[in-house]
Amino acid sequence: MEWGVATAQRSDEIDRAKAQAAAETAAKAGAKPPYDEMHAPDGSVRPHFAVMARRLADLGPGELDERQRTLERFFLLQGITFTVYGAESSTERIIPTDLLPRIIPADEWARIETGLVQRLQALNLFLADIYGERMILKDGVVPRELVLGAPSYRREMQGLYVPHQAYANVCGSDLIRQEDGEYAVLEDNLRVPSGVSYMLANREASKRTFPGTFRLAGVRQIDRYPDLLLSTLRSMAEWRPNPQVVVLTPGVYNSAYYEHAYLARLMGAPLVEGRDLVVHDNMVYMRTTSGLRRIDVIYRRVDDDFIDPLTFRRDSSLGVPGLFNAYRAGTVVMCNAPGTGVADDKAVYAYVPEIIRYYLGEEPILPNIETFLCREPAQLSHVLANLDKLVVKAVGASGGYGMLIGPHASAAQREEFAQAIKADPENYIAQPTIQLSTAPCLIDGEVDARHVDLRPFILSGEKITVTPGALTRVALRKGSLVVNSSQGGGSKDTWVLAGPGDDLS
Amino acid sequence: MMLARVADSLYWIGRYVERAEHVARLADVMLTATLDRAETAAQVARIALSAVGDATPEKIATPFESARALALDRLDGSSVVSSLALARENARQVRDQITSETWERLNLVHLRLSGATAAKSFNDGSSAFLHDIIADLHLFKGAADATMSHGEGWRFLLLGAHLERAQLIGRLLEVCFGRGGERLDHPTLTAVLRMGCALEPYLRVYTADVRARPILEFLLLNPEFPRSIRFSTDEIEAHLSVLARHTEAVHVGPGRLAGRLKARLQYADMAEIERDGSHVFLEGVLAECGAIHSGVYDAFVAYPLEMRLPA
Repeated sequence: MEWGVATAQRSDEIDRAKAQAAAETAAKAGAKPPYDEMHAPDGSVRPHFAVMARRLADLGPGELDERQRTLERFFLLQGITFTVYGAESSTERIIPTDLLPRIIPADEWARIETGLVQRLQALNLFLADIYGERMILKDGVVPRELVLGAPSYRREMQGLYVPHQAYANVCGSDLIRQEDGEYAVLEDNLRVPSGVSYMLANREASKRTFPGTFRLAGVRQIDRYPDLLLSTLRSMAEWRPNPQVVVLTPGVYNSAYYEHAYLARLMGAPLVEGRDLVVHDNMVYMRTTSGLRRIDVIYRRVDDDFIDPLTFRRDSSLGVPGLFNAYRAGTVVMCNAPGTGVADDKAVYAYVPEIIRYYLGEEPILPNIETFLCREPAQLSHVLANLDKLVVKAVGASGGYGMLIGPHASAAQREEFAQAIKADPENYIAQPTIQLSTAPCLIDGEVDARHVDLRPFILSGEKITVTPGALTRVALRKGSLVVNSSQGGGSKDTWVLAGPGDDLS
Repeated sequence: MMLARVADSLYWIGRYVERAEHVARLADVMLTATLDRAETAAQVARIALSAVGDATPEKIATPFESARALALDRLDGSSVVSSLALARENARQVRDQITSETWERLNLVHLRLSGATAAKSFNDGSSAFLHDIIADLHLFKGAADATMSHGEGWRFLLLGAHLERAQLIGRLLEVCFGRGGERLDHPTLTAVLRMGCALEPYLRVYTADVRARPILEFLLLNPEFPRSIRFSTDEIEAHLSVLARHTEAVHVGPGRLAGRLKARLQYADMAEIERDGSHVFLEGVLAECGAIHSGVYDAFVAYPLEMRLPA
């Protein structure tokens, strides 16, 4: 028996009461209530969540808790952990994972998918242009100094041939849902985006937790991701008959090491560290038990700065001396290309809609969040006058650091940030505070709403593919809007439902 | 073909797991012997602790604490918990190369041993605790055998395990029957067989005639018992000869040493060994094992690049 009707009604009423209470609180505070993924404003369950709601109503809180523990054991056993180093011993923690999936209906996903493809197409063209003819700068669409002055702009990439003009082979964009239910892009991650292994592991876990519901809901599969990643990487070295692909990791102490090993294993590609590679005569080899073996494509999970101590940071021992020269010589391909970071820079972000119009002649399908650039004097004064309403971010920082959430900050914190902004306006942008949408999560044995965002993964090589799934990041602290795992965030599985034309497999 | 670093890690996983199992068994036998006469208990404790190179009078006098240290002391590099932490750390570094089934077994026993409740479990039932660890490590080996491809990586894993095993048994035999070895009474000899996990297989061959000479012969030269040194050297030679197919350098290096050592044990004669003194033979075997270890490094892992660069 999948669900019981009587309990469903009772639980529905409770949920409805909760949703209404939340809406009232928000109304009192004078803010628009956040969009809830599961409940409509009147408290009724949205149609695409109906199957899940019935299942939840059938499960007692004890059962949910038990399933949560099973899931945590599964993660611990698999070694999906990060290590917390203490004075005497180190302990392993699992990444906080919520077992209730977030569900996205087919029509919403179709829009997200076309929007993401459009965006990445434009960003790849933008990268090819700024490392080539720089037409967009000459036409004055994006300020020249904004691009060429960014620390993430790599002169070394100037005039270099990149197959298919696919600079960002793996992209993870952060989407949020605004109060009106519209998805918008908060950030693009074009450097070395991570999280895809959690998307896959969360899926394994939710299949075990809700097998019946999973089947009933008609969820699109994501297990082909490693497969698609491998063919994307191979498509970058088509001139080689059977290109040797490797995954380059900074090593076992990197917090995303699990993901590097996971992807290498599922792709069947060797997981290499810098010390495993040798460059000789502009060819890159790996040290194997039977001597040196040439490699063709490096899926690198090492930041630009650490790739090659001869070209980038000299004090880095993670990379391979001479690797960049080999890349320039065209004997090896690095994915993502170095220098992609300039296109996900928080200041360049503000111009992405213009970039899409410039290269594709289309209107952006997924909007940006309204962004004020403190480098522009008029926008700066607006930002300083409205610090209590805005979120201010340092352009160069990520991971939820260097950020001010105006409405939640004290007057002293705001004053401190105001000084910092005045001192270095080019380094700051501001955005209105968006109430991220909320989704049901299991918190201390009870189902309660928490804010979530959405990180889908887009692959671009010969063609661009979006995997029908995503990492949903959760701000586990009540009311918090920060979803980064370094700041008390967790994650959950994301079910993209199949539409009439979608193949389930 | 596999990464040199990966081969190195797999080799060490094999070594560390074998070491953990052996040390757990020594600790278990030592604890069981405390139920015997005091002299026997002391003799067994001396042998077990000498076999891991850690026999002080205080340690011999406190077998329970010593056994707990052998199992759980993180500061002791050869304790079970340390060996398994290292095995698991190596496994993490080659996580992409071992199957999930194999990884899970190792991860599980590591988590159990390094968890907060390990000390309590040991105090509550030390013998059952050690027994479970040994059983878990057998599960690990079984999972590796049943789920990993029997290719290069698996061979490096087993190469490490058998080289370690040959050295551990060699050291145990040296302590019991080598230079300055005292006369061992019957219960102690039985305990020595237990330390080699050899009691039951020994009894099948020699019946309940437990004496020093046949024990030495069994643990040294038996061709079928998987913990005899001869058996291990057969395995070492077999794995190296397959691994060598891809690398010319091996024929002159570890492959030759392993072949010679195998022949030495295959054609050894107990009477000859006794005439020259068993310690001479054992020392020779241990030295050869050490040379094979260095040879493996020179041939597969830390080879000079100049020799391997394309022309």
